[in-house]
Amino acid sequence: MEHYKKPLPCVDDDTREFWNGCKEHQLRFQKCKACGHIRWPASPICPSCLSKDTTWLAASGKGRIYTFAVYHVAFHPGFKDDLPYIVADIALEEGPRLVSNIVECPLDKVKCDLPVVVAWEDINEEFALPKFRPASSA
Amino acid sequence: MRRTLLELSPQDAVFGHFEAVGGYALAARRAMHTFRTGPETWKHIAVGQRRWANLTAEAAMHDQPMTFEDYDLSPWVVEPLRRADCCLITDGGRAVVITSAERARDLKQPPVLIMGMGQHNPASGVHQATHLAGPTGAKKSAETALNMAGITLADIDACEIYDCFTYTVEITLQDYGFFGPGEGEDWFKGGTIEPGGSMPVNTSGGMLSEAYYMGLTPLSEAAMQLMGRCGQRQLGPKTHTKPPEIILCSDNGAILQTHSCAILRRS
Repeated sequence: MEHYKKPLPCVDDDTREFWNGCKEHQLRFQKCKACGHIRWPASPICPSCLSKDTTWLAASGKGRIYTFAVYHVAFHPGFKDDLPYIVADIALEEGPRLVSNIVECPLDKVKCDLPVVVAWEDINEEFALPKFRPASSA
Repeated sequence: MRRTLLELSPQDAVFGHFEAVGGYALAARRAMHTFRTGPETWKHIAVGQRRWANLTAEAAMHDQPMTFEDYDLSPWVVEPLRRADCCLITDGGRAVVITSAERARDLKQPPVLIMGMGQHNPASGVHQATHLAGPTGAKKSAETALNMAGITLADIDACEIYDCFTYTVEITLQDYGFFGPGEGEDWFKGGTIEPGGSMPVNTSGGMLSEAYYMGLTPLSEAAMQLMGRCGQRQLGPKTHTKPPEIILCSDNGAILQTHSCAILRRS
């Protein structure tokens, strides 16, 4: 694997389970045991009911593009070769929204509400990133 | 700068997402999906404000006119936002002195009175927010401020709107109630916000074309206009606009997460 030049995930106590799941190509989110709310970003308490009682749930990896933006400027040199690239806010079936990239899709086909599925990218020995591609190309 | 961006949102940086232009691009795109808006609306804001900057000697863009064609040729930064949709990055500062009306009476400059203020903070980060296409915090902020002032939008003579991006100006004025969702293009068309227009907006060029002093660009400009200290760009006969009695100002923070509104009146 060629040397990875982009920023790597910052793993902390809240996000460790998420990134461990990614490594196994499984999207995991916290589910509140008190009210059932499924949340992202990861946090020690439920933003909906403030309970600390939490379990982790495996998500389907299916969702829709809530909104997206096409980067024409590389604010970090690691992304220079990818220009133009697509950042999207994915509304997952289970509820949380996750910022990621759209891959395997021509720019003019990207639109809000487009159904997408997770497309894993193994970036090194330690991390895999959940990116998304159109569900129709599955 | 790069370090700051990485530290602010490390999970986003993994995917090459960097606020603020990226965040506002996500918001603006959602708005384009929700109601009729986009570059055809925003070009009226960029060009209109530039015409005010052309009357403002201190403005960074004073000597640089902008046509609709110039706007269309402006390069994408993060689509759907072009460079012409983004505010400037400038050094400098602005200040206003706030005191009681009684103490202000003896000062050299005629004072400007604060009629009303309002704040509302929807607070969710851009990724979880459901208010990106409005209503943002602007709606409740303006309701509170107008109530406190005891006036309606019909009493407003001009607006000084926090304009980090053109879309921010549109969604703020829309949430204030100047026009309905998707009616912005028609409202802005024909020079509404420009010199000679019926509702002047960002009369120094704003942060898009004068200078970025955060919320102080709109607030100080409103105060200066009401004091009559604006020279060539002074609202009134000089710019074929209504002499201003009351000006509405806004400020907002993060990606439409926080909003405040102030209504100022000539003394």
